[in-house]
Amino acid sequence: MAADQKGDHERVPLTINGQAIDAKVGVTLVEAAWDARLPGITGVGCLEGVCGSCRVMLRRGKEITLGLACQTFVETGLEVIFLPPSSAPRHHYSISDFRDSWDIHARFHAIFPEASRCRHCHGCVTSCPKKIAVEDGVALAAAGRYREAGEVFLECVMCELCDGACPELIAPAHVGLFCRRVTAHFHLRPPNLVTRLEELRRKRLAGSKGESERE
Amino acid sequence: MTVGGVPLAAALAEYRPDAEIGPLPTPVDSDALLSTYHPDYLRGSVVTLAVGANAGGSCQRDLAELLQAEAFIDEADLAGIPVTDVDVLVVGGGGAGCAAALTAAEAGARVLLATKLRLGDSNTVMAEGGIQAAIEPEDSIQKHIQDTLRGGHHAGDPELVARMAEDGPDVLRWLIDLGMQFELTPNGDLRTRRGGGTSASRLVFCRDYTGLEMMRVLRESVTLHHNIEVWEQSPAVELLSNECGLACVGAVLASLVDGGLRIVRTRSVVLATGGLGRLHLNGFATSNHLGATGDGLVLAYRIGARLCELDSFQYHPTGLVFPSHLAGKLVTEGVRAAGALLLNGLGSRFVDELQPRDVVCAAILRECQEGRGIHIDDRRVGVWLDTPRLEQAEPGLLERQFPNLMSRTRGSGVDPRVQPLLVHPTLHYQNGGVVIDLDGASSVPGLFAVGEVAGGIHGRNRIMGNALLEIISFGRRAGRAATTTHDRGPKKVTVEHLNHMRRALTLAGLPMTRRTPMILPAYARGTPCTR
Repeated sequence: MAADQKGDHERVPLTINGQAIDAKVGVTLVEAAWDARLPGITGVGCLEGVCGSCRVMLRRGKEITLGLACQTFVETGLEVIFLPPSSAPRHHYSISDFRDSWDIHARFHAIFPEASRCRHCHGCVTSCPKKIAVEDGVALAAAGRYREAGEVFLECVMCELCDGACPELIAPAHVGLFCRRVTAHFHLRPPNLVTRLEELRRKRLAGSKGESERE
Repeated sequence: MTVGGVPLAAALAEYRPDAEIGPLPTPVDSDALLSTYHPDYLRGSVVTLAVGANAGGSCQRDLAELLQAEAFIDEADLAGIPVTDVDVLVVGGGGAGCAAALTAAEAGARVLLATKLRLGDSNTVMAEGGIQAAIEPEDSIQKHIQDTLRGGHHAGDPELVARMAEDGPDVLRWLIDLGMQFELTPNGDLRTRRGGGTSASRLVFCRDYTGLEMMRVLRESVTLHHNIEVWEQSPAVELLSNECGLACVGAVLASLVDGGLRIVRTRSVVLATGGLGRLHLNGFATSNHLGATGDGLVLAYRIGARLCELDSFQYHPTGLVFPSHLAGKLVTEGVRAAGALLLNGLGSRFVDELQPRDVVCAAILRECQEGRGIHIDDRRVGVWLDTPRLEQAEPGLLERQFPNLMSRTRGSGVDPRVQPLLVHPTLHYQNGGVVIDLDGASSVPGLFAVGEVAGGIHGRNRIMGNALLEIISFGRRAGRAATTTHDRGPKKVTVEHLNHMRRALTLAGLPMTRRTPMILPAYARGTPCTR
């Protein structure tokens, strides 16, 4: 739909989910799949690379890479497989259970026991469509440097391609998210917000007192 | 759309980030501007509804076709479908749905969250600008209420607006407790900036990834919550009513994977299905995600819920025209809040960039229609968003504050630091929706609506940062209230409301050839998605 009109004559041959199609020049893999009426392309969301749903495996000759279909353009001979959604998470925690920030290091390693076993294969780094230094982020997390680790994962769109790529089943995307969450949960106490909350609490108290006096 | 003006190549050659810019022309009356150029006022785009709770009221034409249509489900279909019982069913997996699900689950309810695509695929995840909350010393809840009502042309419900504004600071606290990060000043305050149409610095944000940061925290919280079950790829195709067709007691879900149907019986249903940008109203491109097809409005209307402001939509002023694969996608208002100017094909400013969105949108459409736009071809025209000037005034600002914008345009041959962005208004938000009370309850017992599918807060124009606030504020309110309905009455679930609707459609002489909700836009359907 967003394709240029001039591209109507030129076609790019490629395969998507095993089906050979001819796509317009300059369209994304999602647009190509739609134009070809391919069935079962439901793992598509935002179309601008932030929801992480349209995960694809790409093959160019012998080279195999991963990516997001809405951000990848058609190429001659490209073989594309839309990947199924990732499986259910194997880690479990509830942030409201974290009362004491002093034991967070122990908590982290209990929730993500694999995080300290990184074998530096770079699988997570090469699979990341946002070019995040995933491996460094995991190392920082394992060393207890949660704020810095979380910062590494700022642009993470939770496509979970790194989770699938990790031979040690570390679930790097979720490690990164954990680091960001505990940083906010324990350290964000902004004075302007705290002050306004307290003002509103007093006003409510005064209000309810006023009401009961009137009664 | 009429096209004329300066060709792109000529405009680019002419462009200098340090060119002298004349003074802003004296502003014209904004009501006149709106009624002449805003798409809501396009002749022939609005019709009168013939059936349903809003019969006699006006409604955008494409939407009216969906509201007054045949359903997918018949009574006979209900026999033999597997049944699931839960306390609360949440339909929709964006920010509002997650907030409602989490709150209901915390109150002890067994919650099923069903979503058409993947959990988190929503407009929430794309929100960039920020979330409004009156937290600065010189700001107040009262000012926030006034700005919201004024921005909405005083069509909003003051009670709903007041509750939302009051909830603001506590919403931030709730989000921080869940683990959401925000930008801070060097001394640890939450950093704020001013959005269009506001009287104080009130937008709290996380770079230009505010929605992404919010959504991944909500998504993880929902996924890991033991009281919440999530069904993805499971759009709701119909609501279920009691024997009189007057209360909502569940829903029929379809599977996008195998086409199978499922009945869910519950005490209450929370609709959090979002907006309808993918209907491409009046032929506009949209900033919305793929699933934004107005399903919730259709389902709610058929079961008898009252809707409001069905002829009022927000066209975001700065949708990208180029690169093509991002056509209609947003450049956040934050860029204008940071100081970027809008320039027409003659290199002149033509509107105060921080006016409310509908005014800026109408002004851009005026420039384009009167031949002062910049055009690529017959269909694509826009004006400059002058990002290089901003970068020149403060080198590194774009990369630092708007990494999302930079990362999306990288690899497309357009660098916002050296080349201004070609922008045109894009269909962005449904201002109205299901009429709700302070608990997010609709006029149908057992049916709640939160987020973009609900109406009444933003009047006829939403100001920036109120959407992210609304979804959490009312998501939590509805989540709490949904758990207090204990008795769903008689055990029988029916589609009696459809009989009412079909009778009314027949009496009104309306065709019943089209089946709705739409579920996916036609261009993305591949194969028929339900049956």
